[in-house]
Amino acid sequence: MRQQYARRTQVLTSVLGLVALAIIVQMARIQNSAEAAVFSQQAQNYAYELKTFYPDRGEIYDRNGRLLAGNKTVYEIGVDLNTVKDPHAIAFAVSAELDMDYDQLMDAIQNPPDGLSYIVIADYIEAQQAVNLQELKKALQDIAAEGTMGGLTGLQFKPHPHRSYPEDSLASNIIGFVTREGRGYFGIEGKYDTLLAGNTVQVLVPTDPNKAFEIPRVSDGTTLILTINRDLQSAAEQILDKSLSTYGAQGGTIVVMDPSNGELLAMASSRRMDLNQFWNYNVIYDKSNQFNPAISTPYEPGSVTKVLTMAAALDSSIVTPNTTYLDTGSVLIGGVTIQNWNREPWGVQSMVGCLQHSLNVCMVNLASQMGASTFYDYMDAFGFGHLTGVDLDGEVSGRLKVPGDADWYPVDLGTNSFGQGVTATPLQVMMSVSSIANHGQMVVPHALYAMVREGHQYNVPAQFAGSPVSEATADTLSEMLAISLEAEASLALVPGYRIAGKTGTAQIPVDGYYDSSYTNHSFIGWGPVDDPKFMIYVWLERPTESNWSSETAAEVFSEMAKKTVILLDIPPDYIRQQLASQ
Amino acid sequence: MNIPNVNHYIHAYKVAPWRIQRQWIGSALLAVVALAMVATLYLIVTSRAAIAGREIQDLTYSITVSQQVSGDLQMQLASLTSASAMQRRAIELGFRPMQPEEVEYLVVPGYAEPEAFVLSQTQNLQLSALTIAPEYNQSLLDWMDEKISSTRGMQ
Repeated sequence: MRQQYARRTQVLTSVLGLVALAIIVQMARIQNSAEAAVFSQQAQNYAYELKTFYPDRGEIYDRNGRLLAGNKTVYEIGVDLNTVKDPHAIAFAVSAELDMDYDQLMDAIQNPPDGLSYIVIADYIEAQQAVNLQELKKALQDIAAEGTMGGLTGLQFKPHPHRSYPEDSLASNIIGFVTREGRGYFGIEGKYDTLLAGNTVQVLVPTDPNKAFEIPRVSDGTTLILTINRDLQSAAEQILDKSLSTYGAQGGTIVVMDPSNGELLAMASSRRMDLNQFWNYNVIYDKSNQFNPAISTPYEPGSVTKVLTMAAALDSSIVTPNTTYLDTGSVLIGGVTIQNWNREPWGVQSMVGCLQHSLNVCMVNLASQMGASTFYDYMDAFGFGHLTGVDLDGEVSGRLKVPGDADWYPVDLGTNSFGQGVTATPLQVMMSVSSIANHGQMVVPHALYAMVREGHQYNVPAQFAGSPVSEATADTLSEMLAISLEAEASLALVPGYRIAGKTGTAQIPVDGYYDSSYTNHSFIGWGPVDDPKFMIYVWLERPTESNWSSETAAEVFSEMAKKTVILLDIPPDYIRQQLASQ
Repeated sequence: MNIPNVNHYIHAYKVAPWRIQRQWIGSALLAVVALAMVATLYLIVTSRAAIAGREIQDLTYSITVSQQVSGDLQMQLASLTSASAMQRRAIELGFRPMQPEEVEYLVVPGYAEPEAFVLSQTQNLQLSALTIAPEYNQSLLDWMDEKISSTRGMQ
């Protein structure tokens, strides 16, 4: 009996052992079969997921930490076609909330392109609208019967960042804009597009939780701090808008710069666009150079360039401030007679009187005495005909014809000396004249104050573009310009502050001739003369209320300067002198 | 006492079939228990790693959401304090732009001009490999190696 049990046990054990062996053999066979290789390959495919990590675009601040460009969350709204329960409910809710066409939505949901299981029905939806739809979806789910899905099941929301500009159109010509594709155009957004955008990281992320440490670290785009003072920019835009209305100008520009380091404090343009609605670009601008005329619209600046001719004459020791000459009202150069602005002789004049009365004949004489070679060498050193190198997208250089060019004639030496026949952008003129305000050193204008990446801030140092004239020449000329403004009782003067500056009324070339109806009015000035803190350039295009910039641009300069000294906390000269003497 | 008989019995006891069977069964059970322990340990470690991985995913998502909320609030604040909004509110409150002649300058001893805007103080703490404890990515062998090394180090 006992042996019988033992045999049964042995048989049972053998059977179970065989079954176990069969299972093991089968496992080994499956593991090594052709199908196993296929499944193994499929498992490998799912072991990693290719993910693209998009960094948030860097923010843009003004010099005082005011946000000029940031990112806000908007939503992509889509439909998961596999889980849709009630297309009518989705189409109705979305069309009501987003003001979309119900029939088009129904068609999109019911007749999607082949092979798609998810369709996007709206994108860049404001957060509040998305929240409204999400709450409606949740409410419908709550009232749905136990175990059933709500009416908006399948409606999905995907948040993503979107560029936003809290100041709307303020400083739009400096900031530029970003399209929905994420590409920056114009201004800072265009110039520093790569830095702001950051580096997109594409990695294979393991689906195995044990490998969670392989999650990549994606750095946001570089944040930029501008030299722009938001409040000064706002004031410049308001003053410019008011001056266009007051003087009937067709357009204009006001630029404020620190002449000691080239930091742009404000740059106002008459045409501005709400950067949050960049799609209106073609409605607002006819040409790309209208976006920021201060850097992209060269024009004949006229008499403001007399500052540079006088600087060259003083620096090359042709004249001194007290040198006199007899102004006969006209001068012949290159076979062409050049006259003063009022076509009258001004008699014996010193160099201060020459600047004070803005005498063309005087300038032609100075250029003739210097000779073309010296004169154009100075103009080249002042940067005429070259880009300033400002860090804003879209800069264009003006043109300086020089001897040897096919279209240069001897008369050009005379006309160029008082700003005709030569073109430059407002910023180009500012850069040139900064050498006078900054004791001989010419600064490179820039809008970037600092960049911040990975928590570290890098402040951009000032750059200089050489010294076209000596310190003595620059200081002497500043004094001459200040005296000439005071003697003239110019509208540009600012009570309490000593200002140096020069007007410019320029004829406008049209089809090879000068327009007899309109002129361009400019003014460049800086102060306080002994320690310049600001330099302001005003350009009014074709004003109709006056023919002379001394009655238009000079007054606009004064208004801007008054605002500047308040916003930059620049005390009047007598206060500074009192403080210095203590 | 007959000593050879005692040895005979002892030998018979040692080679008894049921005793050998028990030894085999015991050994087999020990192996099964050992395997079960290793499997359980592996399961525990794996499940913990999976939970930690899931938590990391949740926290990463939370960070993303927090950053979005922070960005949105920052934008709202910037809109509410924009130049045009502040000017409008100031005018509504009865303020008007100041003129240069109305400004009074006082000498304040010890006053230092405010420094330029510095943004580098606000460092973003980001998830990185260094912030994950070794328990979540260390194998059993790595752990044993670490413990042995630390024990040797203490000696």
